[in-house]
Amino acid sequence: MKEPSLGEFEELVLLMVAALHDEAYGVAILEELEEKLNKKVNISAIHVALKRMEDKGFVKSRYGGITADRGGRRKKFYVITAFGKNALDQQYALRTSIYQQIPKISFG
Amino acid sequence: MKPTPPRWSLRFLRWFCREDYLEEIEGDLVEVFAKQYDDAPHRARWKFALNVTRYFRPGFIKSFKIGHNSNTIAMFRHNLLLTYRSFKRYRTTFFINLVGLSTGLACALFIYLWVNDELNIDKFHKKDRQLFQVMENHQMTGGILTYDGTPDLLARALAEEIPGVAMATAVTPSAWFGKFTLTSAPDRSVKAVGQFADQDFFRMFSYELIQGQANQVLSNKIAIAISEDLALRLFNSTENVVGKTIDWQLLDLSKQAVVSGIFKATPPHSTAQFDLVLSYEAWLSLSKEVGRNIHWDNHGPLTYLLLQEGTDLQQFNAKIEDYIQSRVEGSNITLFATPYSDQYLYGKYENGVQVGGRIAYARLFSIIAVFILIIACINFVNLSTARASRRMKEVGVKKAIGASRKALIFQFMGESIITVFLSLLMSFIIVALLLPQFNFITGKQLALDLDVPLLLSVTGITLVTGLMAGSYPAFYLAGFNPVMVLKGRLKTSLGEVWTRKGLVVFQFALSVILIVAVLVVYQQIAYVQTKNLGYNKDNIIYFDKEGKVAESQETFFTEVKKIPGVTRVSSINENLVGSQSGTYGVDWEGKNPGDDVHFEEVSVNYDMIETLEVEILAGRSFSREFSDEGTKVLFNETAIEVMGLEDPVGKTIRHYSGEMEIIGIVKDFHFESLHENVKPLLFKLKPEETLKIMVRLEAGREREAITSLEKLYKEFNPGLTFNYQFLDTTYQAQYTAEHRVATLSRYFAGLAILISCLGLFGLAAFTAQRRLKEIGIRKVLGASTVAIVRLLSNDFTKMVLAAIVIALPVSYFIVSKWLESFAYRIELQWWFFAAAGLTALFVAWLTVGLQTVKAARANPTECLEDE
Repeated sequence: MKEPSLGEFEELVLLMVAALHDEAYGVAILEELEEKLNKKVNISAIHVALKRMEDKGFVKSRYGGITADRGGRRKKFYVITAFGKNALDQQYALRTSIYQQIPKISFG
Repeated sequence: MKPTPPRWSLRFLRWFCREDYLEEIEGDLVEVFAKQYDDAPHRARWKFALNVTRYFRPGFIKSFKIGHNSNTIAMFRHNLLLTYRSFKRYRTTFFINLVGLSTGLACALFIYLWVNDELNIDKFHKKDRQLFQVMENHQMTGGILTYDGTPDLLARALAEEIPGVAMATAVTPSAWFGKFTLTSAPDRSVKAVGQFADQDFFRMFSYELIQGQANQVLSNKIAIAISEDLALRLFNSTENVVGKTIDWQLLDLSKQAVVSGIFKATPPHSTAQFDLVLSYEAWLSLSKEVGRNIHWDNHGPLTYLLLQEGTDLQQFNAKIEDYIQSRVEGSNITLFATPYSDQYLYGKYENGVQVGGRIAYARLFSIIAVFILIIACINFVNLSTARASRRMKEVGVKKAIGASRKALIFQFMGESIITVFLSLLMSFIIVALLLPQFNFITGKQLALDLDVPLLLSVTGITLVTGLMAGSYPAFYLAGFNPVMVLKGRLKTSLGEVWTRKGLVVFQFALSVILIVAVLVVYQQIAYVQTKNLGYNKDNIIYFDKEGKVAESQETFFTEVKKIPGVTRVSSINENLVGSQSGTYGVDWEGKNPGDDVHFEEVSVNYDMIETLEVEILAGRSFSREFSDEGTKVLFNETAIEVMGLEDPVGKTIRHYSGEMEIIGIVKDFHFESLHENVKPLLFKLKPEETLKIMVRLEAGREREAITSLEKLYKEFNPGLTFNYQFLDTTYQAQYTAEHRVATLSRYFAGLAILISCLGLFGLAAFTAQRRLKEIGIRKVLGASTVAIVRLLSNDFTKMVLAAIVIALPVSYFIVSKWLESFAYRIELQWWFFAAAGLTALFVAWLTVGLQTVKAARANPTECLEDE
């Protein structure tokens, strides 16, 4: 089986899921991302990324309790799976190794 | 209050979104919305809606494949798939069914459109249910004759004296007059069709007034209401036309009128068609002027009543029955009222009793539509049952697995209904393409408007056809015994073979009947058109005597006679086609005092009898060489016979205008349509009463003569248009209905034969295929192609012969009935029937032959190689 790939935006969302650990649901991820990136992000883009990653097995989800302020709808919380963590690690390792190949010359 | 996101947007989300994602998405969206709402409520709502549409993408849209876990729907899809496969597999059968059913349905649709249109004629009046026409029954020696002409004053009298009459109007039908000539400016005159009507005309009938009040437009003696179209022709506008003066001219009378109203063109569904309406007062004074007496024994205009709602017609008729007798002592006339809109379809009376009319054609065509549909359905039934052996394994397996009988019936029924619906689509295309042609033949303006009643009837027709075609095969196929079927033993029971044969016989019998009918209708019409009428209707043109032509008639005649190509010219009061004006006022020596004999009365000018080329049996015609010809009269043979006069020439009779001498007898000639017997008729010389000029032209020089005539006419009547008609065209117009029926029935009969043959073709193809091995063995053993063709077509020949045997007596009965409606008719010849039978047989042979020859010529090794 081909190794599932991780897109750039997906990676960001996955990182955020991992960072928020157990408190990560759509709106929370949205707000955190907007804050970090300092730009507007679309909620539907996050949902698409989450759906894809769940299909790939990078994240898993559970439903929270019912609250009144969401029109009675439950939150869906995501946590990163070991497989997802692995993918993040690989990505990170890959980037670091390439980064380290950059010759030490001045960028001034 | 809590902010709520736009409801329709939310509903949309809930409708399309996958259920496993809906909760998360909706919740998050609402949360985001609530936060944004605090900043900018309006924008938040827009954003919400925009966001919802962002989820409308493959990943989140739920699967709309209907109910993946519902059993009935799964079965439904399965059945659809099987239907599709069986169509693909048995392409010939499918196409035969499709073509047959779609032509059948197209016929039915055409006929539906036509009949529906006929039934709606004159029904558009808002007060239709209260509108009645008063008719007269004349009690005569030979029985009762029904007329629509009534005394001029009847309408007003009834409105005043009889309780229950809310309104009444007399109308002079527009057919009485030629065209009116209207002049709005010295150089602008146009011709138009018109009638006179009383004040309440526009209140009773729903001819829409664009300008003017319904209760006022005809209240003034010099009032004239004109159609929108006429207003445009006269004034180029419909604005400010009311109040303008128009000169109108009828024959040699010229009057003025003031426009009081403008009405929309009379709808095509109206039997009365007119461009202008003049007041009834104008009619009464006009009558006086031309010396037409208005009294209770003079019958002319039509009388229409608007009865109060809820009036019982029978009780009302009892009240008016003797009305004429209360006015005229000893009159033989009784009155009755009949619904106005019924007159079109039920306008025929025999001996005072309503006996149908155009409704007969509506019924006839409805029956033909049903026949053709039945024929198409029979194809379906036969082909499906014949091919049942192909599907018996399918049925067997299904039953063994536990399919219920009901489920199987449902499946096969569904298959037939799908076929019919596909055919319906095709038939719509056919109808849309052929509608202009159909309109041309029927002389109607039908349109395929997809309105609710049409769609309902079409769906109805389709479902009924589908059920009719599908039920027998469905029950038949579903009834198989699974064990027998799976063992491969399908016993075709004798009854079933007989059913199939019986249906083919029935089909062909219907076709043969239609062929015979078409042949007879054609022969009769040809007979009518070529029959010697007793006068020569060819090469005669006629036109209205009006303007200067009427004033200086003699000069005009002299000039006309000088035109090369003109043989004779004279004038007459009516065009001689159809019923003439008539009188009871003739007494003769030896007349039985109780007898009322109605004479058709024709006023002519000198030379008229010669112009018409009516043969004189005894005596002489009117001639300028004798004096005092105004007191002379000529009778036809029938009249002399009715009067019982011996040696009539030279005898004197008492005419209502005075004593008259019989100077001659003319041979009977047919002035009415051949539906009627020749009636007693008299000619009198009254040049001043003649309204139409007839000119006999030399054969072959008509064109040039007409051109010169027109020039001459223009010299006499500058500004008027020369409107002439050929007498034989007018004569043929009497048979328009028969013509249409003949043309239509020819097409329908052709289609019936075509569809029958399609079925036969399918059956023959199937039989040939099933007996392929048998044919192969026979050929190997030495059978010739001819022998095999004969073997295969024998069965079909027998069926068609049986059909012919059944059809001939039935068709004989039907066509004799039809011919009875003609007083003068063709004899039924044996060859009509022989021709119909042979046509059917020949066409059947051709169809079957195509298939069997193909099968018989096949190489036997090909069909035997797999044994």
